[in-house]
Parts: sequence; C-alpha cells; structure tokens
Amino acid sequence: MASFATATRLSARLVSRRVAQDAATRGFRTSATSPAAQNFMMPALSPTMTEGNIATWKVKEGDSFSAGDVLLEIETDKASMDVEAQDDGVVMKIMQGDGTKSIQVGTRIGVLAEPGDNLSELEIPADEKPAQTDTKKDEPAQKEEAKETAPEKQASGQKQPEKSGEKAPPQKYPLYPSVEHLVKEHKLDESSISEMTPTGPGGRLLKGDVLAYLGSVSSKRPEEIMARFVHNSHLDLSNIKVAAPKEAPKAAKAPLEAPIPEDLLVSLPVSLAAVIEVQKKIEATLGTFMPLSTFIARATEVANDELPLPSNYKPTANELFNQILGLDKVGPKGSQGNYLPQISALPTPTLSGVAPKPKTKVDIIDFLAGPAKKSANKAKKAALRPSFSTGNNIFSLSVPKAEEKRAKVFLQRVKAVLEAEPGRLVL
Amino acid sequence: MLSSRLIPRTAVRSALRSQSSLPTVLSPVSRWRRGYASQAEEKDLVIIGGGVAGYVAAIKAGQEGLKVTCIEKRGMLGGTCLNVGCIPSKSLLNNSHLYHQILHDTKNRGIEVGDVKLNLQAMMKAKDTSVTGLTKGIEFLFKKNGVEYIKGTGAFASEHEVKVALNDGGETSVIGKNILIATGSESTPFPGLEFDEKRVVTSTGALSLEKVPEKMIVIGGGIIGLEMGSVWSRLGAKVTVVEFLDQIGGPGMDNEIAKQTLKLLKKQGMEFKLGTKVVSGDNSGETVKLEVDSAKGGKSETLDADVVLVAIGRRPYTAGLGLENVGLEVDERGRVVIDSEYRTKASHIRCIGDCTFGPMLAHKAEEEAVAAVEYIKKGYGHVNYGVIPSVMYTHPEVAWVGQSEQDLKKDNIPYKIGTFPFSANSRAKTNLDTEGMVKMIADPETDRLLGCHIIGPNAGEMIAEATLALEYGASTEDIARTCHAHPTLAEAFKEAAMATYSKAIHY
Repeated sequence: MASFATATRLSARLVSRRVAQDAATRGFRTSATSPAAQNFMMPALSPTMTEGNIATWKVKEGDSFSAGDVLLEIETDKASMDVEAQDDGVVMKIMQGDGTKSIQVGTRIGVLAEPGDNLSELEIPADEKPAQTDTKKDEPAQKEEAKETAPEKQASGQKQPEKSGEKAPPQKYPLYPSVEHLVKEHKLDESSISEMTPTGPGGRLLKGDVLAYLGSVSSKRPEEIMARFVHNSHLDLSNIKVAAPKEAPKAAKAPLEAPIPEDLLVSLPVSLAAVIEVQKKIEATLGTFMPLSTFIARATEVANDELPLPSNYKPTANELFNQILGLDKVGPKGSQGNYLPQISALPTPTLSGVAPKPKTKVDIIDFLAGPAKKSANKAKKAALRPSFSTGNNIFSLSVPKAEEKRAKVFLQRVKAVLEAEPGRLVL
Repeated sequence: MLSSRLIPRTAVRSALRSQSSLPTVLSPVSRWRRGYASQAEEKDLVIIGGGVAGYVAAIKAGQEGLKVTCIEKRGMLGGTCLNVGCIPSKSLLNNSHLYHQILHDTKNRGIEVGDVKLNLQAMMKAKDTSVTGLTKGIEFLFKKNGVEYIKGTGAFASEHEVKVALNDGGETSVIGKNILIATGSESTPFPGLEFDEKRVVTSTGALSLEKVPEKMIVIGGGIIGLEMGSVWSRLGAKVTVVEFLDQIGGPGMDNEIAKQTLKLLKKQGMEFKLGTKVVSGDNSGETVKLEVDSAKGGKSETLDADVVLVAIGRRPYTAGLGLENVGLEVDERGRVVIDSEYRTKASHIRCIGDCTFGPMLAHKAEEEAVAAVEYIKKGYGHVNYGVIPSVMYTHPEVAWVGQSEQDLKKDNIPYKIGTFPFSANSRAKTNLDTEGMVKMIADPETDRLLGCHIIGPNAGEMIAEATLALEYGASTEDIARTCHAHPTLAEAFKEAAMATYSKAIHY
C-alpha cells in the first residue's frame, strides 16, 4: 500500500507543478482570448506506471465537481485507485470512456473547464500528446520530463505555434544566467537551443553546452566533464579487500595468537668502536661528518644480501618451475632479506642473552592503513630505548621462529662488517 | 485555476492489499519465519545505532509509514555527532572564540572590558545544555514519527533477529524484515598509549577536560585535532600539533588553503611539528612523554605535555554486533562491505554511515540514511558523493566542496583558478576579520565549476552556495551573474567567480 502513497504523492506533485505553470501562463492572458478549457491527461500514479485502464468515470459530461470529488477510477496492473479533483470545475468532455484499456500516461482522457464557464462557447483545446518515445522509458526522472514537457509546450506554443513540430525537447527550466547571456549575445533563437546537447544534471543546459554548440570549445569537452562528475558522484566500491572472516573465533584465535609468542628475539652484541674510529678519521681527513646511522644502514644493506631461506619458506611458482627444470641448483640459494636491526646501548641486566619480551609497536601509518598487514619478517622494534653506545651495543631482531637461522646470519654479518672494516662501507 | 489540479489519491482497492509493499524484502527466510506467529512482532525496519545515520533513517522510515525500531546503547540519541562530536565541539569553539576575542581583540574595536575570567565549568555546562536540548529533540521526533526506541546493545542473533541487551538490564529481541546497520565509528587508538580520557584523550575526553592544561600535544593535524587544539589554545594551553604528513587538514583540503591555514593557526600561537612521527608514548610519569622522529628519518626528540589528544583518525565500530553470526563481511579496515544500494551480502541488511565506505561525515551519513530508506521503500535512492562539503570550524573557518587542485593535477585534468581575498571584501573589512580567501576551480573551456575552497570568516556557511552550484552543474559565470547582497562576505564568493571566468571588480 505504502508504495501507492508515494506514487500518489509524486503525481500529486507533478500535477500541482503543472498547475503553477498554468497559473502563470494564464495570468498573462486577457480574459477575452482565454480558452478556459483544459486537457485532462492520464495521470501517472506511480513512478513506473506507463499506462492504465479507465475503470469508470464517476462524473458525466456537463457535471460540476468540487475539490476532492472523485472523478474517475483508474486500474493498473497493480491496483486500482481513485483520481480526485483538487479544484472546482466542470467536466466538458470525456474522451476515453469507461473500460478503455491501456491508455498511455499523458494521453488526453477528457477536457475540463472552470466553474461557471459556458461550455457551449468554449473551444476544445488541441491534443498535446507527449512524444511516444518518452513514455517507454522507465526512469522516474524521464517520466517527470515527459509529464512536464506537455504544459511547457502549451505555454510556448501560443507564442510560436509553428514550433510544435520540434523534435528535441525544449529546456524545461529557466536558462542559467550564463546560458541566457550567451544566447542573447549570439542572437540565438529558441530552435537553436533545442539543437544543443545538454550535459547538466537532469538534462539542464550548461554554459559549456552553448559554447560547444557555438564551436568555441571542443564539442566533446562538456561530455568529458559530465563523465567525470557522474563518476565522482558514486561511492567508490571498487577494489574492496575483504578482511579474513572472523568466523569461529575459537579456532581462529589460536593460530593467530600462537605465532606471536613464538616471535624470537635474536640479538648479538656489536662493538661500534671501529666505526667510531673510522668516523673520526673521515671527519679529520675529509671534514665531513658521517652519522653512525649511515654506517649501520649500509651494513644492514650488505648483510641483507643473500640470506639463507627461512625454514618455512614457500617457493614461488617461478621457483617451483625452476626446480622442475633443475635450474634451482644453478642460481643463488638465498634471498634478499629486509631486516632492520634494533640497536640499543648494552643493557646491564640482559647479559644472559635472553632479552625481555619486547612490547610490539605498530607504526602509526601501518595502523591507520589497517591491522591486517603484518609482515612477519619485518623486524619489530623492541621497546628498548634506542640509543648508541661507543662500546658494545645490542643489535636485535624480533623474528618468527622459522627465521631464526636467517636472522642470526644477518646479525653476524652486520657484526663482521661493522667491527672489521667499517671504512669500506662508506668509502 | 481548475481542472488539471487533480490529485489521484490512494483510495486503493487493490487486489494486492495483503501483499507487502516492500518488494526488496521478501527473502525466503522472512517467508519461512512468518510461519511462526508466536514470535515478537515483525518490524519493517530495525535500525542498530541511533546516531546521525540511524536516527535520520528512523525518522524518515517513520514518515514513510514503515514500522520502525531504533536500538541505541548510549542512552542518548544523536551518536558521536551530537553527544561527543560536532555539536559539543562547536559549542566550545564558539565560546572559546568569544573568550579569546574579548581578551585580545575587543580593545581595537573600542570595547574595553575589565577583568575577564574563564569559568570552564560554566562553559562546559553551556555545552551540555546544547547537547541535551538537541538529543531530547530527537527523542521527541521519534515519538512524533512513531519510531520505537530501545535503549540497549543490539547484536545479530540471526538474519532477521536482533538481540538487545537492555541498558536497564534484561534482554529482548526484535525481528525486522529489513535491518539497517548504523553503528558508526570510534577514535583510532595510538598503539602504546592507552586512553584514560584524563591525560591521554580522544576527542571525547578533549571535550570535557576539567581544567585548561598547561601544555597539550595533539597527535594528528586533521580537522578534529585542529579544532580541539584551537579550543584549548584559545583558553590558554600551549598546544603543539604533531602531524606525520607535511600538510595539515587531512585529505581533501586543498594544498594552497592548507598552507594558508597553517600560517594563520601558527599566528594564533599553536605550534606545529609536521612530517613528524610519534614513535612511542609513556604516560607513567607526571607528564605524558612522547618520542617523536622526523618522518624522513633522523632527528628524534622527546615532547611532554599534561594532556595528549590522539586524533589520528576514526575507525568503523562494529564490535559486539555479531556480524559473523550472519556472515557479513568487513574489509581490511573494518568497514562493512556494501553494494551501491547499501546492501550487505544479505540483501535485507543494509549499512550506512561511518561504519561503511565513504567520508566519515555526519551529513554524508544523513544523506545515506534517507537514500537507504528510499531504497527499501521505493526501490530508488540517491546520494551525490561528488558534492559533499567539508568544514573545519577553526577561526577562520575552512570549507571545501568538489575537487581540489591536487586532485586535478594528479589526474591530469586541465583547470583554471580564480581567487578573491577577504581583505578586499567590504564586510570582512568592517568586521576587522579579513584573513582568508575564496578559491574557485573551474574547467578552462566550459567554465563548469569543479571545486571551491574557502578559508575565511563564515566559510562553513558560504560553502553551501558552492555546493548548490556544483549540484546544478553551474559555471562560475552563473555564480558571478547571480546577485549577491551588499555588503556581505558572500560577495567575496561572487567576486572569486568573476575572477575565474573574467576579472574581479574589487581586486
């Protein structure tokens, strides 16, 4: 039922809008030439209604009616309903009698006059059937268009009756100020307006459309912009990455949480004494100060080369293919690591080698980007206060258990490079 | 005045009277469920969440004649926006601005004020009065539109049933042909710093601090951070904003406008650390300490403050909703996955607002609420996502709609720009409030307005005109040829349009 309420509201709106227009046009006429009779069209009772049947007329020709009286009953495939008069009037003529089937929305079904009009003196106005193509479309917006063009034509038709054969629908809204200006400036007449292609919302004619018509901008430009606006008007729902379902929380939690405690903190004391010596030397000879971080970054780079594969390493499709071909024995046997050691001045209580379990810290950007991206072999920074000491420093990595060996090799390399020949890292 | 004024009314004698008017609803499950008449009354629509998305949907559904229930656990309607967001912050922003103006600005205007004192408690009370008034207003609207309001926490029991743990104790369940998820969002926490809402606060805590902190750090230079930072800075706190990116204002704000905003806020006494990453925080001591690093590497330092506001963004809130019970999906950022008609995997369950895609804005949620109800009721609804304005209520305000210069640059779209400074606007001049400008971006060939960015007094109100222009596909010439009252700030808007399509008169 409810949808009818809506439908009715819609058509009611249309009707009242038409009335406003009628009122306006009528206001300009003198009473002598005024044809008071008006065509009564088949109303659209729902946005999707294209045609309907007349069940019965509740009034006869010549009957007077007042606002609220039921004029006729209309049937559609969904329901039947009454059409009521919103204002007082007289039925002048009924064009489509009881039981007429499949009347297109907007087709004239009768002619009504104002109360007190002398029916014998009134002329029956011309039929203004809307273009048949319009009624075919299902879009409610299109419907509205179809409905509204009728009175518009009626209004403009009186000034320029020769224009009635126009194909393109005239602009149904007041022209935009810029459009109006261009039209006047270039002395365009109304027929040229209907030759323009409107690209504005709801078929509105924009400045760009006039410019394109005049040839002062490329004819494709307005449509290109329209396409961009249409694109932007939708919520971007492409590339949605659905998170792993949280189903069966008991089952999921165990494997999810298990690997985290298994994260291993691998650490190795490294002396930076050699580095600092080199650093001083460089400063003395070249006059440039090399920060420690540069040494460490380069050492990390070197050490990350060709690390042994983690024990749970899953070969890629390419590698599997190479294995099948026997090519794997030729190529290098390791892979590039992306470890970043966490460095801290040697803490006194952890000489035993077992550092306290670090509190995992999340990079704020990772955090904002979403929790899912936990790259296992990215070294997690330990909560140890990051600082350097000129003597021994603890270089540590927190890695999954499977990567223990890999991480150890990495740290040993870092140690070797930093302690043996740090000068070669930068020169 | 006659005749064609005919109203077809729904004196419907339909053969289909008994059939549901909700065509989208008839999933097999609902039919099956209908067999069991003993269950609680089936509603046309059950809404989980009484925030802006939820309450607007509830009222709209009520107006459309649906039987609707709205479940809200806060005990107050209006959600984040009304209770701990837009509304209370605007109260504080407005009143703190007045205070600040009396302290620093009235003398130039020939008003000498004696002893000016801040009564923070009274200021908070004024805020609470506004909030209560508005939330009670929604309760009234619920009654007026026949919306059933349940105070409690809802969770999916099955596809059509929502179990509610009532706030007053006990449990009930509601059955809905349609269900709307509108559970909103929550502040994203900063890892390692737990919210206590006293010293480490979200925007919620920042709205009700008991005293003005001496030093305050705001993590995140987006709209929320800058607004709350402004409030406490005006009330006397030394505010430092730490932002990871090199620009404030968050995504969407035009780069040029963001730069100008930064300059003006700095002038007001706020400090900024851009391109700075907060590494860790420690609130065990007397003050809260933050380790910060330059985002590009290197330089690190320690900051401390009495209060740290974490405003690094918001994340969808669907905890405890039981999405997994009905197999609904969320994406990797926790947003409920929907289609273009807001339907989840189960087509009778829809989701709108902050807990799904799109910008987390109250007015976007409101639009979606209406559209979602229209989809349920009429099968068609619409939100134009390209024309959603954003406003930052600092002083001066910053507002924008449509595309920014950097958006267009990125997509290689040609554009032209017209600007007009408020310093050349008569009303701004007489108000002694001349900072800022209007910037318009239009297509260079067709002159169609592509975006508008305003920084300046009343920008938030003025952006409505740009939004309307965009919605109608207006060119800047259309705006320029529209009469604007004199003397008004809106004239600056018109002049910017003139500057875009030809030349401004007054600049």
